[in-house]
Amino acid sequence: MSNAEDNKPSHDQLSSQVFLDLVDSVIADVASECHRVARLGLDRDLEVVEEELRLSVEARAKVADPSNNLETNTKYVVDIFGQSHPPVATEVFNCMNCGRQIVAGRFAPHLERCMGKGRKARAKATRSTTASQNRNSRRNTSDNNQLASGPPGFEENVRRT
Amino acid sequence: MARSVKHSANRPPTPDEDVRDSPERDELTLGEIINIKLVESGEKENLMELVRDRLVESGWKDEMRIACREHVKKKGRKDVTVDELIRVITPKGRASVPDAIKEELLDRIHNFIRSAAL
Repeated sequence: MSNAEDNKPSHDQLSSQVFLDLVDSVIADVASECHRVARLGLDRDLEVVEEELRLSVEARAKVADPSNNLETNTKYVVDIFGQSHPPVATEVFNCMNCGRQIVAGRFAPHLERCMGKGRKARAKATRSTTASQNRNSRRNTSDNNQLASGPPGFEENVRRT
Repeated sequence: MARSVKHSANRPPTPDEDVRDSPERDELTLGEIINIKLVESGEKENLMELVRDRLVESGWKDEMRIACREHVKKKGRKDVTVDELIRVITPKGRASVPDAIKEELLDRIHNFIRSAAL
């Protein structure tokens, strides 16, 4: 391999040549690196991520606006398995306390009344008959005993008069 | 010159080493000599490192990478070859080296050549 010119190349030319040689090496490095990244799909992750982002935004829009029956099932949301759940559980079964057929969604309130746990729900049935006696006997015994021991207000009334 | 030429091999006789040993540097150009001296003295490696550092910190390398990425996007990443990328970015790469870096490098190379007394 010989130079194009026969006479000695100047120092400037030689320096330029060396310099270009160095730059070419660096360029080759960069190209090699980019080639590797491109073929391995490392850099493209950016594009893939953008694509996935776009798809997820689309999917979210589709979920917010349900694609199953638009008129009737406006409250039903489709989950990832494609099942739709009504907001109130509709299954019917028998209450283990009173044996009645209860809708699952209404079971908790039913149990409150059924087992006498609620504050006002249970006392509602007996309030009307013993309302006056309750007011008088509050100082004496607890409410539960009033019926068993007879109208306790009797003694009170007796004492007063 | 040809001591034992085996005509069974159809090739010109291997030139003798002795004749070439004298410092007849006609075969080697000045550029090549300088290159050899650069490598032997280790200066070539120093220069390479210097060039790389300067080009990275000036953002030149990032520009080149962007240019590569653009080309890859056009061509499709599976079809691209290294040669192609080199071919595409070399003109731009050579032209876009900042002047300051170029001056610095040329200066150093100049000094080396002068000190190599050629």
